[in-house]
Amino acid sequence: MQALDYDLVILGSGIAGMTAAIHASKSLSKSKSIAIISKLHIMRSHSIAAEGGISGVLYPGKNNDSYELHGYDTAKGSDYLADQDAVEMLVKNAPKEIRFFEHLGVPWSRNDSSDIVFRAFGGMSIKRTAFAADKTGFFMMRALYDTITQIENITKYHEHFITKILIKNNKFLGLFGIDLASGEPKLFTAKACIIATGGYSRVFNFTTTSHSATGDGTAIAYRAGIPLKDMEFIQFHPTALVPNGILITEAARGEGGYLKNSKGTRFMEHYAKSVMELAPRDIVSRAIVSEISKGRGIVQEGSMIKHVYLDLRHLGKDKLDERLPMIREITIKSLGIDPVEEQIPVKPAAHFTMGGIHTDINGNVFTGDGKGKILGLWAIGEAGCVSVHGSNRLGSNSLSECSVWGRIAGEAAAKLISKGGQANDNTAKELGEDAEEELNKIIDSGGSTSPYYIKAELQKTMEAHMYVFRNKKGMEEARSRIAGLQAIYSDIFIADKGRVFNTNLRDALEIKNLLDLAGVAVACAINRKESRGAHARVDYKKRDDRHWLKHTIAKQTAKGIEISYMPVVIRKWKPKPRKY
Amino acid sequence: MKESIKMLPMYASMFGVPILMVLAVLSYAFYPIVSTAVLIPLIAIGLLFFGLIGAREVYLHKYTLKGTEIPYNINRTGEAARAIKDEPNGKKKLVIVIKRFDVSLRKMVVNKYEVGIDRFTTVLDILLHIKSKTDNTLSIRYSCRMGICGSCGMVINGRPMLACETNVLKNAVDDKIEVAPMQAHPLLKDLVDDFDDFFDKHISISPYLYKRDKNEQYLAKKEYKQTQAEIEEFLPYSYCIMCGLCMDACPVVNTNPDFIGPQPLSQVYRYYADSRDEMGDARIEKVDVLEGLWSCEYAGACSKVCPKGVDPATAIQLLKATAMGNLIK
Repeated sequence: MQALDYDLVILGSGIAGMTAAIHASKSLSKSKSIAIISKLHIMRSHSIAAEGGISGVLYPGKNNDSYELHGYDTAKGSDYLADQDAVEMLVKNAPKEIRFFEHLGVPWSRNDSSDIVFRAFGGMSIKRTAFAADKTGFFMMRALYDTITQIENITKYHEHFITKILIKNNKFLGLFGIDLASGEPKLFTAKACIIATGGYSRVFNFTTTSHSATGDGTAIAYRAGIPLKDMEFIQFHPTALVPNGILITEAARGEGGYLKNSKGTRFMEHYAKSVMELAPRDIVSRAIVSEISKGRGIVQEGSMIKHVYLDLRHLGKDKLDERLPMIREITIKSLGIDPVEEQIPVKPAAHFTMGGIHTDINGNVFTGDGKGKILGLWAIGEAGCVSVHGSNRLGSNSLSECSVWGRIAGEAAAKLISKGGQANDNTAKELGEDAEEELNKIIDSGGSTSPYYIKAELQKTMEAHMYVFRNKKGMEEARSRIAGLQAIYSDIFIADKGRVFNTNLRDALEIKNLLDLAGVAVACAINRKESRGAHARVDYKKRDDRHWLKHTIAKQTAKGIEISYMPVVIRKWKPKPRKY
Repeated sequence: MKESIKMLPMYASMFGVPILMVLAVLSYAFYPIVSTAVLIPLIAIGLLFFGLIGAREVYLHKYTLKGTEIPYNINRTGEAARAIKDEPNGKKKLVIVIKRFDVSLRKMVVNKYEVGIDRFTTVLDILLHIKSKTDNTLSIRYSCRMGICGSCGMVINGRPMLACETNVLKNAVDDKIEVAPMQAHPLLKDLVDDFDDFFDKHISISPYLYKRDKNEQYLAKKEYKQTQAEIEEFLPYSYCIMCGLCMDACPVVNTNPDFIGPQPLSQVYRYYADSRDEMGDARIEKVDVLEGLWSCEYAGACSKVCPKGVDPATAIQLLKATAMGNLIK
């Protein structure tokens, strides 16, 4: 086991992680060291697939837009489950981050007088989403990576898989994992750690996310006794390409695209008459699934999947090439369909997990009892839950969230480190040795079940019972099925016994993470007896503010998942019926 | 016509320098008949010639860029489109041949599998299917499966391509498709390459927006001025996803590992052409060396294989022209 010591380790290299690294390095003296660890090559994290844009009121007053209005839209979009102090923080800081990324080289689309231009997004009452064609996440990631290459005290650990977070007496000590390229176990000790490992949408097979979106940071934190928040809320993006689930950005509708059923009708007029296709994602997803279940879907030849159409034909070739070139590229390359001439087959797919590690407004992670904070540990972006999205995120708010809390956590960690602090004792090393032993057990496991079987079964279960509409019976079934899969996980077989780039082992570890997180999501969903945002139950159709205007907190105990609740921070925007 | 103008810098760099050298040798041989008084103007004229070509190329580049309306090769995708749509539905069987690097034997081994596919199946789909069902030990690097993360570059039927973007039916020959790892990067395992050298080369060209006022850059109080027209100058070169396919396709990279290669050079141009950047000609001076710009022989393979429509070959010629132009400035 190789032992490495840093002042700050950042786990995850998406937009949140890399932003945190840059701001931490800026606030620290050059003698302080930062490590950024990713299970992928650092510039390939899933943030790279973000398409539509980043929200922020860049020119307050212009077009009658204001922070206040952005905040209201976000709170309403969240179905009032967002903590409104966090929402205020988001809307106030987002514009600064758009400018920051402009200064790092992102080519935001602009007009003739070189002002940044905006596009419409679902649930946003005014155009306030800045974009770089339909590759916004890609350009932000490249700008961040390229910026990091010039910062000398940031060490990049490509393709390192972390299996355990080491905490003792509510103090962060280090991370343990393996270098995938060599198979060598490594112990990273540090004064502070920022978890930015993204979401866990891969508990579904039909998802817009990368294969890597397995919520590893969230899962290892959960197993370390850290509470998770609002795990039942999983966002389904209305327009994922059928059959492969690739994201067709909401900007396609923001630029004027229509959703049509088999009769050619724009069915959204029955569900959200005032905003039509630009309703928030939960509403549009439910509308599509309802249309399909009422027999107004279309069956795709070959895959036999039922879907609806996204119609962009009236936008014209020039607009598509200027504003949505990647959408055109993706549909042509994967389906042979040119959106200039034909409609795109789409249906809702798992896209974003609102829940995550329970943190305070600064991203500082709570302790198991929920009373204090863990010293030196932050969780940001999709991995954490501050909570700014509540039960349903508005499109383009996630890139703002990642960059805003990337900065906050980076600077907070730097502050802690600058204070000086504890010398490393032997505890981390001992815990690291335990972690190595656990890992070796998995490597040597000589069972009979293929981890890929467990993954396929898990995804099948989640798709059957935890999709857009949920009910008690289905979710109970999912719970017992997942418990069964967790039991047979102890009997897995890892065929690859080599050390070099052993993706068989990595997959098995990811599947363990998915299983645990899916189990928590299902348990939290069964408990919440109402419909709110992305959590829609056919047996409890109404939102119930009297009983359920509260965050779910779940943590692992010896007896299983322990669920408790905590109040939502409501300030300016009082809950009222959510109509569009 | 346009093509031939595009080729001018290549001819100039191929023939111009040798001609000058021959002239120099001749004048030396016939000294004092041809004196230094003749030699110096000759060289000056030669350099002026390159400078003019450079200026013209930059001008033409600006002109042609506006004609490039789609950042990807529509012809290739268009073909693929027709193929996918014409294919009948339902499953079909074909053979995939996987040439993989065996870590313990330290050599390439070949596996063949018969797999069922439909008209949507990509090469990555097949490989993941084999990994989960038939051979758990197969290693592939992959993530986004939508052609943007740049992980799954490999050689498919002899051509460097992204596995996730490659439709199997369209690319199969005689119901067979063959995959192998890229050879221009060191091999790690099976279809996975080691990218450390590749990243080092990228980092060596200072691939970031350079501002003299670093403090202001981080504070970002106000946007830098930049019009959409100025963005278009570098935009086509900013689509690079760092998949490494161009390096694998480049004949020079494959024979001379010291050549920095098309990917980093295209990124030199990406930042050089950005009106916000303040590093200026220092960017070009860094790569104005034999193993930099001047090892490029303009084979153009890099631009042909780029899955995102980046055109490193043109970027390099533009850099050469600018370097030449700077010489006589």
